[in-house]
Amino acid sequence: MAAKILPVVKFATKVTIAGGALYVAYDSGLLGGSEQGSVALGRAKAAIPPAVEEWMKYFGFELPATPKIEFSPLDAWNSGVKKSIHTLSVAPSTVSDYTKQGLQYVKNHLK
Amino acid sequence: MSEKELGQKWDRCLADCAIKVGTGLGLGIVFSVVFFKRRTSPIAFGTGLGLGMAYSNCQNDLRSHYVLHSNVAKEP
Repeated sequence: MAAKILPVVKFATKVTIAGGALYVAYDSGLLGGSEQGSVALGRAKAAIPPAVEEWMKYFGFELPATPKIEFSPLDAWNSGVKKSIHTLSVAPSTVSDYTKQGLQYVKNHLK
Repeated sequence: MSEKELGQKWDRCLADCAIKVGTGLGLGIVFSVVFFKRRTSPIAFGTGLGLGMAYSNCQNDLRSHYVLHSNVAKEP
């Protein structure tokens, strides 16, 4: 009799695990709209440092401090755009200057 | 839509995309291990599902400024 019930129990356990994971995801707003998602992300970000500290105390060693990276992708992108457009806007006059200089150099050498 | 509002919408979009893809991946892994004998197809399916949900949310969010919103009075 136990051999007959065991597959049913196994299947019921699997359904419970999968259904529980799905319910947790739904309940914490991970599957909802954009605002719910960013709220959940904010909560997760706020919850990570205390959790990491607790684990560190439990295991008794210190993780190395995360290095502060002074790089802002936004600033880098904006300055890149500005530089490219500035280069494009002065390109005609720069090219004509260089051409004149080049022709002058060739003239001087042909004299 | 002002630029500030647009920037906030894009920020929300990206955060939402990260969350949905991560959730889809996680649920795909759970389902793959529990039901599908560790095949990779449920994982890919879950990730794709998350991407699709994020895309649809982003689309609605960015369009909501231009879509007419009406309040329909309920019949008594």
